[in-house]
Parts: sequence; C-alpha cells; structure tokens
Amino acid sequence: MASMKMKKRLRDRSESPSDVSGEDWEDDSDGGSDTELQEAFASGKLKPGLNYSVEQRKPCANNKEGLIQKLEEIKLDLPWIERLDLTSRLAPLAPEIAAQIGIDPNLVVKTKSAAKKTKTNEDDDVVVEEELDNVDDDFKRELRFYRQAQSAVLEAVPRLHALGIPTKRPTDYFAEMAKSDEQMKRIREKLISKQQQIELSEKAKKMREQRKYGKQVQLEVMKKRQEEKKRIAESVKKFRKGAKGEQDELDFLTELEDSRKNTSKGTNRHQQNQKGPIKKTGKQKYKDTKYGFGGQKKRSKYNTKDSADDVHGKFDRRKHGSAPGNRKGKKPAQKRPGKVTRLKMKSNKSKR
Amino acid sequence: MPKRKRETTDVSKSPKTKPKRKQKAGKTIETAKEVPVIPAATRGSDQQPPKRIKWTNKQRVLVFSSRGTGFRARHLMTDIRSLMPHAKSENKMNKNDKLIQINEACEMKNCNWTLYFESRKKKDLYLWMAKVPDGPSAKFLVENIHTMDELKMTGNCLKGSRPLLSFHKDFEFQPHLALLREMFAQAFNTPNHHPKSQPFFDRVMCFSIADNRIWIRNFQIVEEDGALAEIGPRLTLNLIKIFAGSFRGECLYENPLYVSPNLHRRSLKMAAAGKYINRVEVKADREQRMPETAYPVENEMDDVFRRAEQAKQKPLDDEANGSMGEKSRTTPKKKNQKKRK
Repeated sequence: MASMKMKKRLRDRSESPSDVSGEDWEDDSDGGSDTELQEAFASGKLKPGLNYSVEQRKPCANNKEGLIQKLEEIKLDLPWIERLDLTSRLAPLAPEIAAQIGIDPNLVVKTKSAAKKTKTNEDDDVVVEEELDNVDDDFKRELRFYRQAQSAVLEAVPRLHALGIPTKRPTDYFAEMAKSDEQMKRIREKLISKQQQIELSEKAKKMREQRKYGKQVQLEVMKKRQEEKKRIAESVKKFRKGAKGEQDELDFLTELEDSRKNTSKGTNRHQQNQKGPIKKTGKQKYKDTKYGFGGQKKRSKYNTKDSADDVHGKFDRRKHGSAPGNRKGKKPAQKRPGKVTRLKMKSNKSKR
Repeated sequence: MPKRKRETTDVSKSPKTKPKRKQKAGKTIETAKEVPVIPAATRGSDQQPPKRIKWTNKQRVLVFSSRGTGFRARHLMTDIRSLMPHAKSENKMNKNDKLIQINEACEMKNCNWTLYFESRKKKDLYLWMAKVPDGPSAKFLVENIHTMDELKMTGNCLKGSRPLLSFHKDFEFQPHLALLREMFAQAFNTPNHHPKSQPFFDRVMCFSIADNRIWIRNFQIVEEDGALAEIGPRLTLNLIKIFAGSFRGECLYENPLYVSPNLHRRSLKMAAAGKYINRVEVKADREQRMPETAYPVENEMDDVFRRAEQAKQKPLDDEANGSMGEKSRTTPKKKNQKKRK
C-alpha cells in the first residue's frame, strides 16, 4: 500500500479506458492516500481488481476540423512532376535478408499471393507489412526505412520515364556533388580497411582451425604408428618365445617389411621382390652399426654381394671432407708425380 | 543588381564536348520532349536577358539557428542547406527575441518557409517549421542526429538534385499527420526548374513514422532497380505542437505522448533517487510492523526445566522429586526457544 503513492485520481484497471472519463472523483486536498481509499470504498466507487493511480493530464488540443481546414488552405494543386511526393508501402524483402532477421520469407510470399487473390488494396497493405514491434531494434528499423525508400524508387522511376524525363546521370556528366571528393575518399578508405580487417580475422580463424585439425590428424597418425609397432613387437616376442616349437610363424616378417615400406617415405616398390636386406645408404648403415635394430639386426646379415662389398668401420671420407667431390679450394686434386719427376725433384732439392 | 547571363546548354546537341565542372549555377538540361532553344551568337548590351519562365513553384526556405547551438546541430543545418538549393541562410537569432521576428526576417529574404533550429541548454535541439505569412507552424524535438560527415553514410548525390519524397502510409490516417505531410512535401521539395537545381534524380528522402516519431532518411539511388546508399543526414522528429499561424495563433494539435527532455531527465533522476528512498521507507515500515515477540508458543515441555529448577531448590528427600529429576534427565534435551526481538 505504501508503495502505491497516489497522486490525484483513482482508476480501475479492469475497466476499459473509455469508461474513465465517466468516473470523476473529487480530489482530496490533503492527498492522504488511505483516507481517500476509504472514502471511495465507502461510496462504492472502488471495483474489484487492481486499482492504481493515474496522473491527471490536461486534455491535449486536437482540433481536427482546424487541421483539415489549414490543410486545405496550404494545399498546392500542382502536377506530380512539380511535387514528386509519393506514399509508399514497404518493398518486398529478399528471402536471404528475411532469413537473417528471422522473418519467415514463406509467410511474406504466401500472404502476398493471398492478397492478390482477394484483390483489395487495403488488405494488401495490412497483410504484407509487418508491424515494427521494437523501435530499438536498429537493424529492423533501418531496414524498414530502406524498403520504404526502395518501393518509392520502384514506383517513381518508371513514372518519370513515362513522362520522358531522364533519371540516370550519364557517366560523363561532371557536376558538384553534395560531398566533396576528399570525403568520398575517406569513406572508401574506411570501407577498404574494414574489409581488410574482416579478411584478416577470417584468415586467422582458418589458420586456427587448420592447426587444430592438423594437430588432430597428426595425433591420429602417431597413434596408429605406435599401435603398429606394438603389434609387431608383440608378434616378434611371441615368435621368439615360441620359436622352439613353431618355426613357421614368420608372418610378422612380411608384416614388418610391409610396415616399414609403408611408413618410410618414397619406398622403392621393387624392393619387395628383393631377397635379403634393404639397400641402405652410408649414413643409415653407420647408424645401424651404432644403434642397431633389435630383431632386424639379426636378420640383416646375409652373405650377398652387397654385404661382401660393404666394409664397416671404413674411414668416411665424406664426413671428413676429403671425398673426391669436395676439395677445399676447388682446385683439381694433385696426382702423385711419377718416378722420373720425383727423382728430378729430389735432385733439384739436393742441388739447392 | 543586374542579373547574370544564364546559359542553357543542350547536351543532346553537342555530344563531343564534355560539360565541365560546374562553376556557376544555372545550367539546366531540357527535357527530351521539348524543343531545344539555342541562344543567339551575339546580343546587344541593351537587350534584356531571356526571362526564365519555367520555374513557377516559388518556394524558398529560410534555414537558420539560434545562438548557442552545438557543433552537431550546426553541421546538421549546413547539411540541410547544402541539400536544398532553394534554402537561404540567416544570421543566428537571439533566443531572448520573440519568435514573431522570424516572420519579418523571412519577409526580408523573400522566403515563404522557414526551418529554425533552436537549441536549449546546449543539449536539446528544437526545430520550428513554419509557412511564413500565415500558414501553420509546428515545433519538433530533434533527436538522433547523424550528419552527412559520418563515414558510415556512404552515398553521395548531386548538389541540388531534386529529391523523390517518400511518405509512410500512416501519414494519411490522421489529420495532424496529413497536415505535416503537406508541409514536408512543400518545404523539402526542390522546385522544378529551380536555377540551382540539377537535372537528374539520384536522391530519395524518406519520411517514416515509428514509435510516434517522424524519422527522416536520405538515400542515394545507386541503381534504378532499387539499390540504395544512405547519404545522410539522419533525423528523428518528435512532434510537440502545431499552431494555426506562423509562430502565433491557436494551438491546433498537441502531442499527448510528448515528454519534454527536462522532465525526462528529471524522471530518470527521480527513479535513481527513488531506489534509495524506497529502501529506507521499506526498512522503516518493517520496523513498525514487526511485533515484539514473534510466535509465542505454549509448549507443555516448557515448564519441565522450571520444575527441575524448583526441585533442586527443595530438599532431595522426596521420591517424586527425585523421579522427576531423573525423568527430566532422560527426556531428550530441547533447545530453549529464543525470544525474538
């Protein structure tokens, strides 16, 4: 009760607004809320429902006849070309934009066709236009204004063409514009910078996505490889352990070779048919000698031409820079002089 | 003041020469239907220059402001002036002077419409729009001003091109709106064949009604099939009153939903203050309403301890007392109900 500070009049909310004018209570000069209510209740003026107070307003002037008369006074009867004013409805909304806002485009289209069937102009207006329920929704509001202007253009331009008036500015017509060139330049720059920003952000997003995806893929591949290795190692173990009994379980060998061939980059296809070990490069061999490869080492020593040729522990001339290809100074390597020349050199030396 | 010689160029006849940047006003292009008039090669100095008879709709608007307008209102005014070639400017008016003087100023400049921007407290901008000799006048509160300088207004138009005026259909449904529509249509419309006007139609001015206000937007017609770009400026007009005469006369219409900006600000402050006051009052009410003892409940167990106390004081020779004492101990402990304050 205390929160309902009464001002001047009481009004029953359940009543329709048109009935208010009929009820006129006297204002209490002291403005005591409770006493007023009590009096009103005693006289039976309070009705059930929520009663709340309404500020009394002076009646606002609305001299309709005067307005209409004034309108008649100032009206100018000119041909349309002089006035160029149009009353426009809203132009139809493109379905993409309708989807963006959340208006059902089918609804608009359906109602338009329905209106066509009925063929009444008033219904057409009522049906096609949606009421703007929230003025603060900037996008919707501006879109409505845009559509109104669009419909005006769509109506006026054919009308002007019918009158034989050119509406479009030709490209070679240079004249003073409302905004200076400098202003337009600044606007263009701003638009471009905005676009660039959007592009950059899109790029960054994509990169992030890619990295995430790439990471995922990488993880999966690693997992797979590990699983493969595990499997092979297990089968090797099994074989080793059960080697005394079964000597036919050499399937995993083929698996091993297959897996190696599949995982290593650019494996040579014809090596599958090759008997014996895979041909290795010098570095690989060196690495093998150092680190070895569990089971593979055992199976990698065969007595073939290649193994006979291959000599471990040889001084690696490439590493120490004295390979035939890479002399420092790039001069041709000096050949050891022949016997005669050497004798000559010797005699020359002794002569000095 | 001798009239300047005005030329009429006919673009259709001389396609090779490009018309150069307009330095002076007054070039018009004739409509395709009318026969082009080629001026004579020489004329005598006594000869009167040819009279222009095409510009018949003589509307001139006096656009000016009061002293103490901020930059935004000033830019808005200059934008409107640049878009309306039939507008004339005037020095700033003192707010202390009577509004009736505007009629005299218009008389001096031979204008029949006026747009007067009055700013109060450097915060509120009011727009007076009047047809000067004896026409109606209307006072608006201008809100949501966006000028042409804003970089979001990407459109551009010919300076002085005639706008297409587009009115919302709600303008026809009420007499005061119908009157306003006529006023806007006459004041903002660039007259046909105005000497400073430009020939092509690349601008549409849109008047809408939303939330009991009039929203004004300016668009450039980028393509004839409906693509538009906003030029600016942007206005929202909140109607206050319409008078029968220009700055005088009886009040024909008063907007019941109009709240003056002062009152609006005051109500906001009151609401903020009301919060605190309300809280204080509620607290005081609560203090009043609260009883001293809440929930005085009579419990049969209440006097158990009282009896036990009495028993302690009496000598312990009575069996009944003793049993009472035991009884009192075996019963589960009950918390004493605290008296609420």
